[in-house]
Amino acid sequence: MILVKDLHKYFGKLEVLKGINCHIKEKEVVVVIGPSGSGKSTFLRCLNKLEEPTRGEITVDGIPLNSDVNVNAIRREVGMVFQRFNLFPHMTALENIILAPEVVRKSNKAEARKNGMELLAKVGLYDKADEYPDRLSGGQQQRVAIARALAMKPKIMLFDEATSALDPEMVGEVLSVMKDLAREGMTMVVVTHEMGFAREVGDRVIFMDEGIIMEEGKPNEVFENPKNPRTQAFLSKIL
Amino acid sequence: MGMNWHVVVDNMPILAKGALLTLELTAGAVAIGVIIGLFMALARLSKRKVVRAGAIAYIDFFRGTPLLVQIFLVYFGIPMLLKWQTMPDNYQYTAGILAMGLNSGAYIAEIFRAGIQSIDRGQTEAARSLGMTQAQALRYVILPQAFKRTIPPLGNEFIALLKDSSLLSIIAIQELFYTGKIIVGRTYQPLPMYLTVALYYLVMTQLIAQWVAYMERRLGKNDLG
Repeated sequence: MILVKDLHKYFGKLEVLKGINCHIKEKEVVVVIGPSGSGKSTFLRCLNKLEEPTRGEITVDGIPLNSDVNVNAIRREVGMVFQRFNLFPHMTALENIILAPEVVRKSNKAEARKNGMELLAKVGLYDKADEYPDRLSGGQQQRVAIARALAMKPKIMLFDEATSALDPEMVGEVLSVMKDLAREGMTMVVVTHEMGFAREVGDRVIFMDEGIIMEEGKPNEVFENPKNPRTQAFLSKIL
Repeated sequence: MGMNWHVVVDNMPILAKGALLTLELTAGAVAIGVIIGLFMALARLSKRKVVRAGAIAYIDFFRGTPLLVQIFLVYFGIPMLLKWQTMPDNYQYTAGILAMGLNSGAYIAEIFRAGIQSIDRGQTEAARSLGMTQAQALRYVILPQAFKRTIPPLGNEFIALLKDSSLLSIIAIQELFYTGKIIVGRTYQPLPMYLTVALYYLVMTQLIAQWVAYMERRLGKNDLG
């Protein structure tokens, strides 16, 4: 589903990604962990070209992400959820969800609305359809953001620290929506600090540090028996 | 010479006519200015260097030279460039509105640019990540939020423009100030006449200020964005 070969990314002179190789299979849930500044968010943002890779190859769903390709076509297939939600503040929850289907997919309005309401029901916010984002809690906003990404019917979902900006009591409601998605067979790449989620839902855990993949494997292996000393040090600090 | 307030009362209707023309000239200039301003703001933010440089040159020129000189440039320049033998009837109105529109376009471009840049980058990223093109993200996500933030500075610009329209008297457009000057020439009552002219301007600028405040309240009610 996603194939990454020798991905490098520089910000000016700073090399943030130093050669990432990885293959994410269909329906796989890959959890990316690592200390801040390790390049995990940059890696994720390269996958839908919000960041332009300096060097390397990325293939998404069989389409190479080089400069010739229509980036918007890839982005339609790859949903993204951000740490800071990024809902459109001038639109209601439902309008946030149906904007892209209408504008990008040219869906008809009634159908988009119906689908939007179903998605709101799915994330438990059916009764909040007409609320503006600033009237919703952080957890509710993030659930709307997930529904908004899902409205494009993506094949892959990227989560960039989706629960990091939330008050502790709201983390659970967002994680439970993400778990439902994983159970339904969505291909997911999740950058997170929620180790419980990684253990429970992840098919594979990738530990990144200093711009490279230090270690990867099944969650129990990585968490119970980390081989790389960097992984051991990181896990001992947070577990 | 005593002050004669009679002339004021007698000339109210003529002054009102001049004030109406002032409003019309300003409205025309605003329409041109907003359109130019939008395009120049987008050009100013373009990734292409040539486009950006063009916008910067435009903005610098019209902000860095006096409006009065620009009015003359347009008024005398266009007939020269187009090699007209005679000026068409009412050409001064077209030239006046155009000069003011070109000028305010530069200021409005900077207002729009600031508004667009004040919108969090995450908004564009969210829109783009949903597959929207840059143009779609601008139209549906960025500009609606940016416009709202530009209303107060736009209001200031409209007020400045309305006052600056008095400069058009120099090319014999019979707007409010020109009308007042003519009446003073006839009546020798500068103080009451110019006070009245000032009062007319004040009422009009107040109306714009009120309208801006109203728009701000109306658009601000839904969200904090």
